Amino acid sequence: MSGRYLGRKLFQAVVTVAAIILLNFVLFRLMPGSPERALKNPHLTPEIIAGNRARWGLDKPLFPDQLVNYVEETLTGDLGYSIKYRGQPVTEVVLEAMGPTLLLIGLGEIIAIVFGLWLGARSGWKRGGTIDRIGNGLSLIFYSMPYFVIGMPLIIIFAAGLHWFPTSGMTSPSGNKDLFASLFDLGRHLVLPLTAVSLGLIGAYSILMRASIIETRAEDYVTTARAKGLADGRILRAHAFPNALLPMVTLIAINLGYVVAGAITAEIVFTWPGLGTLTVQALAARDYPLLQAIFLIVAVSVVLANLAADIIYGYLDPRVRA
Amino acid sequence: MSVTGIAGTELGVGRFRRTGQQARDFAGRILGRSDGLVGVVILGVFTLLALAPDLFVGPLQTIVTATGKPLEPPSVVHVLGTDETGRDMLNLTVHGARISMTIGLMATLITIFIGALIGVLSGYIGGRLDNVLMRISDFFLVLPTIVLALILAPIILDIIGPEAEFLGIRATLLVIVVVIGLTSWATTARVIRSQVLSLKERMFVDRARVIGSSSFRIMRRHILPNVVNLIVAQSVLTFATAVFTETTLAFIGLGDPTAPSWGELLNSAQSSGAPGLGAWWYIAPPAVSVVLVVLSFTLVGNALDDLLNPKSARR
Repeated sequence: MSGRYLGRKLFQAVVTVAAIILLNFVLFRLMPGSPERALKNPHLTPEIIAGNRARWGLDKPLFPDQLVNYVEETLTGDLGYSIKYRGQPVTEVVLEAMGPTLLLIGLGEIIAIVFGLWLGARSGWKRGGTIDRIGNGLSLIFYSMPYFVIGMPLIIIFAAGLHWFPTSGMTSPSGNKDLFASLFDLGRHLVLPLTAVSLGLIGAYSILMRASIIETRAEDYVTTARAKGLADGRILRAHAFPNALLPMVTLIAINLGYVVAGAITAEIVFTWPGLGTLTVQALAARDYPLLQAIFLIVAVSVVLANLAADIIYGYLDPRVRA
Repeated sequence: MSVTGIAGTELGVGRFRRTGQQARDFAGRILGRSDGLVGVVILGVFTLLALAPDLFVGPLQTIVTATGKPLEPPSVVHVLGTDETGRDMLNLTVHGARISMTIGLMATLITIFIGALIGVLSGYIGGRLDNVLMRISDFFLVLPTIVLALILAPIILDIIGPEAEFLGIRATLLVIVVVIGLTSWATTARVIRSQVLSLKERMFVDRARVIGSSSFRIMRRHILPNVVNLIVAQSVLTFATAVFTETTLAFIGLGDPTAPSWGELLNSAQSSGAPGLGAWWYIAPPAVSVVLVVLSFTLVGNALDDLLNPKSARR
């Protein structure tokens, strides 16, 4: 891969992250709970106000001193203290919530990629066939459903109605379990949220893969393979599928932002203790330091995922390295 | 590539002329596709409900004017049951159509306006302006609306105060509209820009330039009319996304409790514990409505895109 392509993509990612940090900096100084406004209190003597301003660095100009300071702290992982969680550093609170979210989204992505790509390839290959009609129809419906809308009926049917799975949480409260029992317990709690996330994603991936395979079908090398007398299934597996997969790499990574944003709404329905549930708590308490940290983490992961996609794509497809 | 049915595109006459016959042909082609027909019918029903909700179910019920007991299952009196304060779900869902679709429409107008403006300017003028505008659009393409809205909406809301009103619209709703609009124009801008890039090389643009038309005039009279097709298809697709986004934002608690959109209804269903209680009638009506509207807009949008967008990959 040429260094120029890589350099350009890296530069773009760095600029985007810088813009995200700058946005956080500006917003933090605009909002109602900002330190400047907290000091607009008639009971405070000018000396106290001046002392506090000096302590928080507010006596220095916004640019460059305060900005430099802010960037420095952000880069070293100091994102301030949570309001809701009684002064705990937000970095700790957010990191704690990331585990469950990564588990849910990671497993959901794997399931959705396997099934979504398979379904999309089947649908597109036999366009207008039975699999296509049913599969594409269902995909469009799931694609139109926010994750939480998929999750709510799952709870009503399988948790509240049939009592097969718990309605919420990640673990049962009873302690003193061996490893196997707690893994089983986690699995039981995971089934419904994971189903909701996977179903939502399968719809999206299947639609994209279908479009990609339909385009690939018309390529000359597929016609050649057919002319050579290869079996239909083999043409799909060996010739069309790998090529149709190429654009999917980018699409899956670009989609990641929507996945994270969507998956956090699924968490809310199941009170899954991840970033989504944390977001709602932060919103309800107007805990801005926490909210900003969540935004920063989600936004930066999305940028990194895009960068990864660009690099993988450049590696797989020599045409884009120019 | 057949773009018949739309006058001006191939002729290069900078005007958007369409005779009655051509419009009928075009409508026939949309309705002739099963997905287009299903989409248009569903949209027709919901638009009707949204236009005159009072006519169908009476005025919006509040906690004070609620007509039933809390969380009643569906019955003859309350066909879709009641919510946790005893309000009739049919009443709420029909009024929700008006709120959800109005927000969706306003957000779409802002998105398309910004997207078309930036797309045309960036594509036609090019050079450094194009570079800057496209880098900005990269930022918004990478970060999805919901992620940005998560941080922008509550802060803007706290700055102006939730009780503020503009033109009779409560700030909460307006903030959602503006945030969706400001963060989702990038796709539209990209689509339109790429079409403008190819239009600008066409003969009729050169002719206009030779006879001394100003850039502004060329963009307004020759470029814009030729991307109207794309704008229409994009608007319909954007509307689907806007309703989807509004539902999500309202669900996570950024909505206006006094204006129950479908997302807001789902939010109160969630916070009143309806899923765990098995109160399916509280969830099904708004959920099904959202899915039907988003789905039908997607169907119509895709059908339009197939017919109107020369670069559509879906043909």
